[in-house]
Amino acid sequence: MVRLWKSVAFRLAVFCGVLVIGSVTIFSAIFYFGTIRVLIQDVDRKITSISQRLSDKFETQGVEALRTEIDAMLSDKIDVETEIYYLGGIDGRKITGNLSDWKELSSPLDRSIDRNVIRDGNPSSARLLLHQLPNGGLLIVGRDMKDINEITYLVWRTIGIGCVAALMLAIGGTILFRYLLERRVGAIRKTVEEIEAGKLDKRIPISGVEDEFARLSREMNRMLDRIEYLMDGVRHVSNTIAHNLRTPLSRIRGHLDEALRTADASRLAGAAEFSIGQIDGLITVFDKLLQIAESESGIRRQPFTTVALREVVTNVVELYDAIAEEKGIALVTNIEGDPKTLGDKDLLASALANLIDNAFKYGGRSVTISVRATPGAETVSMIVQDDGPGIPPEERSKVTQRFYRLDQNMPGTGLGLSIVDAIAHLHGASLGLEDASPGLLARLVLPPFTSQ
Amino acid sequence: MNMSCLIIEDEPDTARFVCNGLKEAGFTVTWSREGVEGLNLAASEQWGIIILDRMLPGNVDGLSIVKTLRELGKTTPVLILSALASLDERVRGLRGGGDDYLTKPFAFSELLARVEALVRRSVQRADTAELRIADLMLDLRTRRAERGGKQISLQPREFRLLEYLVRHQDQIVTRTMLLESVWDYHFDPQTNVIDVQISRLRSKIDKGFSPPLLHTIRGAGYMVSVHG
Repeated sequence: MVRLWKSVAFRLAVFCGVLVIGSVTIFSAIFYFGTIRVLIQDVDRKITSISQRLSDKFETQGVEALRTEIDAMLSDKIDVETEIYYLGGIDGRKITGNLSDWKELSSPLDRSIDRNVIRDGNPSSARLLLHQLPNGGLLIVGRDMKDINEITYLVWRTIGIGCVAALMLAIGGTILFRYLLERRVGAIRKTVEEIEAGKLDKRIPISGVEDEFARLSREMNRMLDRIEYLMDGVRHVSNTIAHNLRTPLSRIRGHLDEALRTADASRLAGAAEFSIGQIDGLITVFDKLLQIAESESGIRRQPFTTVALREVVTNVVELYDAIAEEKGIALVTNIEGDPKTLGDKDLLASALANLIDNAFKYGGRSVTISVRATPGAETVSMIVQDDGPGIPPEERSKVTQRFYRLDQNMPGTGLGLSIVDAIAHLHGASLGLEDASPGLLARLVLPPFTSQ
Repeated sequence: MNMSCLIIEDEPDTARFVCNGLKEAGFTVTWSREGVEGLNLAASEQWGIIILDRMLPGNVDGLSIVKTLRELGKTTPVLILSALASLDERVRGLRGGGDDYLTKPFAFSELLARVEALVRRSVQRADTAELRIADLMLDLRTRRAERGGKQISLQPREFRLLEYLVRHQDQIVTRTMLLESVWDYHFDPQTNVIDVQISRLRSKIDKGFSPPLLHTIRGAGYMVSVHG
């Protein structure tokens, strides 16, 4: 029973059943009062008025007149089937009437009562009104209720059958409802179980009807798509992290191992130096991954402040001007107006530095790099544009993936654009990579800071 | 110059590595591996510098030690060491009274350079109108530099770079220190931008003059010095 009660379908069914029985009861009550009660009240009214009339007759004309009147009514062939009259004397004996002797002396007076009586020698179920005449005699006016009782029986039988049918329907509906619910929920549960067992590609089948379950299933499928996508990302990242960490670690190990075996002092020193270099590289990768994770978590490292992009661009370009000069790269800046945004100065500078770094690395020799900042009402942007080879369109979405490197022969961690992307995300900004034909145009679109 | 150093660090390997290195560099080193003892030592003696780990046994945050020390009126320079690498933690460390913040793991040369900068800064802090080394002169008011009487044309940022190096003459300064002090940035640019900045500066102040002043210290950083 407890187990059954745990089923939503069962509880709903019990609830529905109670509701059905309740409504049948109310319906029956209304029906009963609308039919049987009306008939009975009609009878009561009739016998009361006759009793009143006869009692008046007695008071004005005496017992003999009353007796004559009753005899007349009994023999007038009207209502022969149902009429009941009785007149008893002071001594309790019957004077006239179609009832057998009335022995029940303590019966209530002046209100309708139901009794089984002998009428014209036949048993009859009757409704009677007893009235004490002023001289102590007893006047009974009544009506045989056989017809009405038949109707009552019919009504109650109908209600009874209705109740049973309604209950059956409720039970049947419950079973059907439970079955349907189980089928829909069961499909979801089955899918969830399969996913739990590791089959992440399973989805809930969606039936043709666009009902609540279909909508729920669709939402859950969307959620599963998202989770699978993220899981893929995590898997990809953990594979590449493992690769990116294992490779330098095995190189370090190899070098140290070899140096130890040869036990040559200069060899050892060389191996130590090599190892430190590799470890520094590992630390850089760690720092960058942490930076990405921090930015992606959406938690600001320090409260955002107003950042003037003019200052960011000028400072970062001044950091790179020497190397541009050395490499024969033209590094030009163009700042329009005074674009400002709300953000983290260090992170924005780091993002810009990463973009400039990329232009240096992939732009090739004698490239022209233009760094711009533009104001706007809706957005402000920082743009790094070069006239180098650019990024093929099909690669553009991949370059922001962690550890993805366009050219494996170039030095680097493959994290630069991931960092820029994460920083953009933290600032509610977007990173766009466009074709500058020739070259690449990287656009960091930021929300503007307005003093209001 | 007070070359005494107090190290408050619970991790023995790091402590030993730092102690040995500083001893070699001429410091006298005292090691405390626990917060309360460390605070007592820090407050009771006159140290040249205190090196403090953030995470100490018994959930003691090194920052609370700095705070107490500052409340006691001690101005001893404090270098905070921490594995908490985020910028937020760094800002908290510096706001909490630390004079410098270095994240683990670190190169010893980086630690030494910062320790020396802190020790000396606390010694000489006199603000002068000009800085000199050999025949190089920096006029801090007009932001002009000349060597051997000849004007050297420097961009504003190059002047700041040279000023920082000359202020820390005879000390090693690391790339990160330059990036933090001259550009005021706390991030690690990928390419060797600082190296190239330095070599451009060197070509301006050393080319055609003798002796060379701007030296590269391999594996550590740079130093401005009359001696090679």
